[in-house]
Amino acid sequence: MNKDQLLKKRYRAEKRFKFYGLVSITLAILFVIFLVNVIFSKGRAAFQRTTIAVEVNFNTEELELSSNASIEEIQDADFYDLSINSLLKLYKTEGAKQEKELLRVFSPDHDIEIKNFLIKNLDNLNKNVIVNLTTSDDIDQLHKGNYPRHLPEERRRISDFQLLIYDQLVKENKVNKVFNTFFFTNGDSRNPEVAGIGGSLFGSFFTIIITLILSFPIAIFASIYLEEFAPKNRITDFIEININNLAAVPSIVFGLLGLGILLGTFDLPRSTPLVAGITLSLMTLPRIIIPCRASLKAVPPSIREGALAVGASKVQSVMHHVVPLSIPGTLSGTIIGLAQALGETAPLILIGMVAFVVDIPATPIDPSASLPVQVYLWSEQAERGFVEKTSATIMVLLSFLIVMNFIAVYLRQKFEKKWS
Amino acid sequence: MVMINNKVKIKTTNLNVYYGDKQALNDVNLEIHSKEVTALIGPSGCGKSTYIRCINRMNDVIDICRVTGSIEIDGNEINKKEIDVVSLREKIGMVFQKPNPFPKSIYDNVSYGPNIHGLAENKVKMDEIVETSLKKAALWNEVKDRLNEPGTSLSGGQQQRLCIARAISVNPEVILMDEPCSALDPIATAKIEELMDELKKSYTIVIVTHSMSQAVRVSQRTGFFHLGKLIEVDTTEKIFKNPNNKMTQDYITGRFG
Repeated sequence: MNKDQLLKKRYRAEKRFKFYGLVSITLAILFVIFLVNVIFSKGRAAFQRTTIAVEVNFNTEELELSSNASIEEIQDADFYDLSINSLLKLYKTEGAKQEKELLRVFSPDHDIEIKNFLIKNLDNLNKNVIVNLTTSDDIDQLHKGNYPRHLPEERRRISDFQLLIYDQLVKENKVNKVFNTFFFTNGDSRNPEVAGIGGSLFGSFFTIIITLILSFPIAIFASIYLEEFAPKNRITDFIEININNLAAVPSIVFGLLGLGILLGTFDLPRSTPLVAGITLSLMTLPRIIIPCRASLKAVPPSIREGALAVGASKVQSVMHHVVPLSIPGTLSGTIIGLAQALGETAPLILIGMVAFVVDIPATPIDPSASLPVQVYLWSEQAERGFVEKTSATIMVLLSFLIVMNFIAVYLRQKFEKKWS
Repeated sequence: MVMINNKVKIKTTNLNVYYGDKQALNDVNLEIHSKEVTALIGPSGCGKSTYIRCINRMNDVIDICRVTGSIEIDGNEINKKEIDVVSLREKIGMVFQKPNPFPKSIYDNVSYGPNIHGLAENKVKMDEIVETSLKKAALWNEVKDRLNEPGTSLSGGQQQRLCIARAISVNPEVILMDEPCSALDPIATAKIEELMDELKKSYTIVIVTHSMSQAVRVSQRTGFFHLGKLIEVDTTEKIFKNPNNKMTQDYITGRFG
């Protein structure tokens, strides 16, 4: 082969290589677009809730309340009869079957919704007010255009009579779509129309805070000690190998550890953010230590020598010069480690966070769900409402992860600018 | 005729240094005289840098390094465990091959040493130390208006002078310079050499250099190292005009190395 041919061959190889790179990047982008598209198209609807305007007369006598009732008094009152009466006025019904069908247009907790409305708007006592009540999941889906109403009646859960009611109410402009605040404020529920991620948001929040408090200081001190002070011998080599191995251990193994030791031996409360936080700290520690050590190692030795040469002690040279320079890498490593912990599901399932928890946790030792586990729980449900809520929860989780990663990038750039 | 000072500042006797199994210095006996510039020359890897790093115990940083023999400063043995390296390094400053200012402001670079040793009781005193150090390092006029800018924003030559200012800020007795000009252009080099002439009035200076002409220009005494051994040490004039050893002769005339 002469020189010309060789040169051409090299150029061809270069073009081929570029082409492969372009193809893989295009594929990756297509996958991301596909993923985001699927999640958005399914999850978008969960941020809206269908309501029907119902006239309610908050008559104190009918509610057996005093004329200027306090919140506590209202809280204890029974709104069921008032609620039923208001709903039945919406449409003319004949017989118990039709009454039942009319009530089933609404979410089962309509009386509590009415009560909560009154508690928020106390001045409506003794007045006739229009209240927007949440519809059942089926009507919600029907209004969002996801319900197969052309099917014969026996294959639908919505009866012909309910369709009649619905069409009439739509004609009267009583059916509305509002922003679904329930999705963010409510806990889990068997009824998809009122189920929310409020509980899992708090659960995840408590879990991440505990993970941060436990893993950050330990990881920082461990990496500074190992990198700057520990003698290089067999023991430290052994520790280093173990840290690297631990970072690669499947997360479910940490779940087993939490189950066996935290729940089994120490008898900590099951399904709580406390246990989840400790378990995830164990998992996150090596994942933070590794980038922290890398960023300490990246500080040029000349800086250490410069400090030592003017008479700084070892601790001073590390704390005054090396650690400040490693802050960007340390912080972004920590945040990315925490982001991984936030999205972790398997270990949480093992320590019982997979339980159905309706209440929103007030402390880290209350039973609670967490965002990824909520996704897992809802993904098993057949109702269309849960399907869209699963995607919506994924959207919330992903946006948290994206925000955390952006913070990591921002901190890295901010501190790096400061030092150069 | 150059004035030769006869007061010995640093004296090493049978100094041996090992990196693991490898011997880097072999029975080095060298006397460094007070308030003059001693140049150490020799081919790469001959142990010059290792030698000066023994004087301020910088080799302690290297785990596998072992130093035997005696190093005396003003007659006091420093190569023993009980010696406090922190106060030793306060007395013996060092300037490195590559300028290594801290990634902090110019002011903080100079004030760091006095700060950790508690040399200034207040801000006014500190300002004074920073100013005199920078003046001694012939950098004051160039940076006096931008003391808060990062030290890393200076040019290479300025950075090296900043490192010299940092070294003299703690008022040392000895300044060790490990090829301080090897990363600098000729103009910056000339400035540093000029500065050394000035500094030797108050400090004992040991400089490692690869440049024969630099050794001739700045030093009063020169030691020639080869393969971990001190081959010859004498006044610079003698070494470069009429060395006793054939190897020295060959090295300074460029026949090897």
